[in-house]
Amino acid sequence: MKKTLTLIISIIMLFSITTACAKNSNAPSSKKDSKYKVNSSLTVAISADQGTLDPAVTMDNSAWKITYPAYERLVDFDGESTNVKAGLAKDWSVSKDGKTWTFHLNSGHKFSDDTPVDAKAVKFSFERLLKVAKGPASVYSEISKVEAPTSDTVEFTLKQNFPPFLSTLAANYVNIVNPKVMDKEKDGDMGQGYLANHTMGSGPYQLTTWKKGEYIQLGLNPHSTVKPALKKVTFKIVSDSSAQKLQLQKGDVDIAEGVPVDQIESLKSVKNVTLLQKPSLLVDYVYINSSKGNEALKNKKVRQALNYGIDYPSLIKAVQQGYATQSRGPIPKGLWGYDNNAKQYQLDADKAKSLLKEAGVSNVTLNLLYSDNNTWWETEALTIQSQLANIGVKVKLNKVAYATSRDMMDKGEFDLALGVWSPDFADPFAFMNFWYDSKNFGLAGDRAFYKNAKVDQLLAEAATSNDQSKREVLYKNIQKIVIDDAPYILLYQKDYLLPMNKNVKGFEFNPMLQGIYNLQDMSK
Amino acid sequence: MMKMVMRRMVFLVFVIFGVSLVTFILSHIIPGDPASMMAGQHASKQAVEHIRQQLGLDQPIWIQYVEYMKGLLSGDLGTSIRTQNPVIDDLANYFPATLELAIAAFIIAILIGIPLGIVSAVKKNQFWDHASRIFSISGVSIPVFFSGLIAILIFYGYLNWFPANGRIDMNINPPTRITSFYIIDSLLSGDMIALTSSLQHIVLPALVLSYAQLAIITRQVRASMLEVLSQEYVRTARANGIHGYNLLIRYALRNALVPTVTVIGTSFGALLGGAVVTETIFDWPGMGKYVVDSIAYLDFPAIMGFTLFISIGYVLINLMVDVTYFILNPQMKE
Repeated sequence: MKKTLTLIISIIMLFSITTACAKNSNAPSSKKDSKYKVNSSLTVAISADQGTLDPAVTMDNSAWKITYPAYERLVDFDGESTNVKAGLAKDWSVSKDGKTWTFHLNSGHKFSDDTPVDAKAVKFSFERLLKVAKGPASVYSEISKVEAPTSDTVEFTLKQNFPPFLSTLAANYVNIVNPKVMDKEKDGDMGQGYLANHTMGSGPYQLTTWKKGEYIQLGLNPHSTVKPALKKVTFKIVSDSSAQKLQLQKGDVDIAEGVPVDQIESLKSVKNVTLLQKPSLLVDYVYINSSKGNEALKNKKVRQALNYGIDYPSLIKAVQQGYATQSRGPIPKGLWGYDNNAKQYQLDADKAKSLLKEAGVSNVTLNLLYSDNNTWWETEALTIQSQLANIGVKVKLNKVAYATSRDMMDKGEFDLALGVWSPDFADPFAFMNFWYDSKNFGLAGDRAFYKNAKVDQLLAEAATSNDQSKREVLYKNIQKIVIDDAPYILLYQKDYLLPMNKNVKGFEFNPMLQGIYNLQDMSK
Repeated sequence: MMKMVMRRMVFLVFVIFGVSLVTFILSHIIPGDPASMMAGQHASKQAVEHIRQQLGLDQPIWIQYVEYMKGLLSGDLGTSIRTQNPVIDDLANYFPATLELAIAAFIIAILIGIPLGIVSAVKKNQFWDHASRIFSISGVSIPVFFSGLIAILIFYGYLNWFPANGRIDMNINPPTRITSFYIIDSLLSGDMIALTSSLQHIVLPALVLSYAQLAIITRQVRASMLEVLSQEYVRTARANGIHGYNLLIRYALRNALVPTVTVIGTSFGALLGGAVVTETIFDWPGMGKYVVDSIAYLDFPAIMGFTLFISIGYVLINLMVDVTYFILNPQMKE
């Protein structure tokens, strides 16, 4: 037996050595990639791998960080502001009734295969998006047709006036895709299978390597007019937050996206690390089920009492370590329409108790629905439970899987539920019309199942006017009503925190593009 | 033996049918809607409904099942909702990594576990027995996510001996694809750079994964060795002057191994399953992470594909265990 074993091992060793030598003499198939200097490449640690990268399919912020720099759009957000500036389009105009938008394209933009970007490509991208009819298409339900009268003119006809239209074009919903993707079509999928794993855009970067489950690499689009300093960007999947922190400290990654707020503090003392902190437009709030939940919640006074029962500063400290600002009205600070004088609820236990008494409610028990979708929700739910206990409201926690929680929210199977919201476009419409219009009951936006005929009417008016100052007044008035009706507990507006290596330069945080990097302007 | 193998293969068809039915029903009755996940945060009811129709989710469940089985019979596992890739391609992409990790951990567990068990049995209730007990029991008791993090902290954080995650260095091209196992492929293509990097990357996750299974093998080997060593034929062998290595390996171990093979077989299944957590900690690009993401997204085709794949794997492992019995114990042939 011993002899046989020795013989087998010797044969294996001999075999591997001979094959090794034979192949080695023919130049090894892989060698260290020395083409890129260290300071022209950037490594970002991300928490999870991506699903599809097809711009017409994905609604996922983390996929957008790959697609956004690989494609171009008609317009772009301007630096750190929520205003738009020229992109593929050099100028644009809108008809008086707001239904016809005309864009004139810049020349010289090219897809990564050297095909010029023209009006036909723009028309194709919109038509493909609407035909594929997945998530991003829902933003454009108002488009009735897209035309390309000349090679550099695109005309959109809308079914009705939709003032936020321009702003949606700067977000990630319509990236202009090379029409040649149709060569890759399989079974009538309009290239969805191909674009799930490839990019075909005119942005400064393109997807070069995707080792599933390991990393995603972007390289330069040789035909782009922009010549970025970072030649290679790697998004490395490091799912464990402690491992991300360790790799950032050791300089193995330049940016660590997935470090939770309770671990951020310890990074502040690390020599080579800097912490970027900016107010974001992401708000965290509680839905109070105003028509399908506990009977007591139909009474405005009970909902107000809940709003008075929260100690906002201490909740923000407990849940976000202070890296957040209490909300003032539904529209976050930083977006036009924000009202500096809007009423802000503060802790007033006596008032809360007397409101409950006036409503004839005592010994009420409410369930609070949440999921593991956000790491901080567990602490938040516990904090709310203990704070509301002080005004005599018993809260029963109901934690379920994320997909299940969405289903229950849509059906209204909860009394209270935790939620976050960030805008799809830079317009108060993205908060007000979604949250308070009774047309949007359920997941679509009115997650409190709140209905007020007056509010519905004012919202419709604000949604179809092109006059921004008039809309601002309208939204201000609506805010007064809804803050008093209190279908939500407006908790806070979260800060965006990003730990990165001190040598990373040029990153601009745009609150409309959270999690997306302006790679073309960055350097090391 | 051929008869048994044939019987098992027929049995496999029923397993596939049963598992597919149960998984299909379970994954469709839990509350949650992949169409809503796909439509995004703020999609309208109409948009969600439209996607539901595209995915065929508006059909009665039995029609959906029949459609799925039709595809399955022609070898089509469907398209993943999340990645938009054919599920079979996704599995083919991720499975070799899981298998490579599980095999590496398996080899380590056997190479350490069996000798440790023998030592424990021979030095029963002495220092080495106690030491091996403490060592192996702590492997089962410490959760993988903890031992994994500690390993990363020590071997990557302080000592810098091994990388913290991944399967191969990002700046090295993976070896030419032959078997999809990086270590074997780099050996076959003689790519020493890729080999070194793959070995460096697999050490930590494989050690951590095997550590959890070590106790089961060690304790089993110890128990069966003790039983065998007290048997009369061993005493006779001793009386005939056979001792030391010869006695332990040729006489005792061969018989002690028969019950151990079952344990080892099931522990390989556990390694495949346990790889899920290990893969997450070390970002090993295997099926574990893929299926966890798919479950969170309610990606039915991916969940179904994974479950079927693993069930078939289990049946085949059991078959291999039984075949090993035949080889180890000729009496079984009767």
